[in-house]
Amino acid sequence: MNIYHYILLTASIICFLASLRQLIQALNKKGDLDYAEPKGTANPAISYSFTNAMSPKKKETAFLHLPTYTAGILFHIGTFLCIFLLAVNFIGFNIPEKIGYVIVAIMAVSIISIIAIFIKRIVNAKSRVMSNADDYFSNFLIIGFQVISCLAILMDNLLPLLFIYASVMLLYIPLGKLKHTVYFFAARIQMGRFYGYRGVWPPKRNKI
Amino acid sequence: MVEKKYQPALDIFDKMLHGKLKTHLNSCVHCGLCGESCLYYLTHKEDKYIPGKKVDLISAIYRRYYTLLGKTVPKWVGAKDLNDETVAEMVDLIYGACTMCGRCSMHCSIGVDIAFLVRAGRSMLVEINKVVPGLQSTVDAALNTGNNMGIPRDELIDTIEWIAEDLEMELDDEKATIPLDKKGAKVLYTLNPREPKFFPLSISAAAKIFYAAGEDWTLSPDAYDVTNYCYFSGDDKGGAVITQRLVDKVAELGCETLVLAECGHGFRGNRWEGPNYINKSYPFNEISIVELIVEYIREGRIKLDPAKNTKKVTIHDPCNMVREGGVIEEQRFILKQAVSDFVEMTPHGVNNFCCGGGGGQLAMSEYAERRIKVGKIKADQIRATGAEIVVTPCHNCIDQLMELNKEYKLNVEIKTIGEIVADAIVI
Repeated sequence: MNIYHYILLTASIICFLASLRQLIQALNKKGDLDYAEPKGTANPAISYSFTNAMSPKKKETAFLHLPTYTAGILFHIGTFLCIFLLAVNFIGFNIPEKIGYVIVAIMAVSIISIIAIFIKRIVNAKSRVMSNADDYFSNFLIIGFQVISCLAILMDNLLPLLFIYASVMLLYIPLGKLKHTVYFFAARIQMGRFYGYRGVWPPKRNKI
Repeated sequence: MVEKKYQPALDIFDKMLHGKLKTHLNSCVHCGLCGESCLYYLTHKEDKYIPGKKVDLISAIYRRYYTLLGKTVPKWVGAKDLNDETVAEMVDLIYGACTMCGRCSMHCSIGVDIAFLVRAGRSMLVEINKVVPGLQSTVDAALNTGNNMGIPRDELIDTIEWIAEDLEMELDDEKATIPLDKKGAKVLYTLNPREPKFFPLSISAAAKIFYAAGEDWTLSPDAYDVTNYCYFSGDDKGGAVITQRLVDKVAELGCETLVLAECGHGFRGNRWEGPNYINKSYPFNEISIVELIVEYIREGRIKLDPAKNTKKVTIHDPCNMVREGGVIEEQRFILKQAVSDFVEMTPHGVNNFCCGGGGGQLAMSEYAERRIKVGKIKADQIRATGAEIVVTPCHNCIDQLMELNKEYKLNVEIKTIGEIVADAIVI
């Protein structure tokens, strides 16, 4: 372990604890008790909320905006892959060269996707109206993270830069727009609870 | 610091700030894709009508007073002070440009409950007396007179008595009546005050169904209003007063079941929100008349002849009863038994578009022009079905559909589920 490892480790712990606190607060039912007699149950609806309800077959924001939806899915896969790579690099595991090239290829698709979304946010009037500085910065932060992660596969000497960059990103996650990393899961769970309790989700076509 | 006059809005916000509200305030990624799910944005194509933009007003206030970056570098995260400008924007968009239909919530790419945030924003505005006057006067009427139209008790009894006389003549049976305040009756039925005022046939239809089913039922002239406009205004305290009236009446008469008349928000307000307004579960059963009719059909207590309704029928799904209330297939089950030609709108069910009359819009004459404009989406949906009759289990929706019928020259009849069932009933 060198100084960069310690910096990354500290940032990871801070990010984890702050995010955990946010998640616990978000899912705490205290104050949100429902006294109405339930018509359905939450758990199947929560499962539905994370699966079919997210699919382009069901979700209008997906099927009406398929290119954006697809780019969004791809760059999120890329981001999670980068986090995995970060962990791999942290423990000092050497990625075999051939696998490295496959990862770089996947990352290239992801980076193109996120840059496309970034450009859309800048160019598209509707997206611009919705955005604040935090939105652009967060987007840019993830582009940088993916690009450096990708380059670090090819160039070992970039690892210190990756660790420092990732540390900054991890520290920013609980503060700005990137906290949706946590709140996305909380929102889907809350939505599943709501619609499940009321018997709306999962759909029961022709069954009453 | 917030101006003193706006402090009550922050105080109530602070009280509401539990897990669910925190979640939805922090989740939006500002993608703006929800615009295409909102009838206001689809109609006007103005960015301010994007649902995510509307509720960002509330999230921006949250960020300003509750987050580190919002407190220190507000512009960076788009945090906003609660001041005259933001309050004016909130009134215009949170009251005047949202029917709280929840369509954008269901389709949100993240899962932000936008309608829930709008309701939270309205609760803030209640505390600083910024409810739109038209809506507040409806709430006041309900709180002060016992029903949202201020119908005097004697007038209601007169209306009920002549409806009962007509029913007795139609069915040629003196047992076909409308019992008032009958102690120990199994069912206490409710009304939307628009029924005695403008739509007595709806009451007559319900009475006919109860008669045919051999139901032991009653109405109370002192507590019958199924509506609760406090749900729309954002006033939980007022909501509790209105809820408690029906709860007390059920207890006083010793009824087993409270049956909710055909009213979308009335169903939601009583079935789902009411227990939370009074912070306890109801000690009785509660069911909508739509669900009860399904029971009657299944138990063989009423028989329907679809040949009695031969015109092409479509259904409009009230958002508060369907997407937000879980009564989705029941009305379809009934219509398949009661009419011979049933056609669905596209989209329908949980994906249905609001008629434009929800969220208290019908009470807010201030925004009437917007309401009629956004209703064109519903009018187009209806026209595309080719239906001659539009059925909906909601008097609020009926009012809006009647206006749309006139404005967009749809040339359709508009009926409740009860009315179409009463037409098909075999006695």
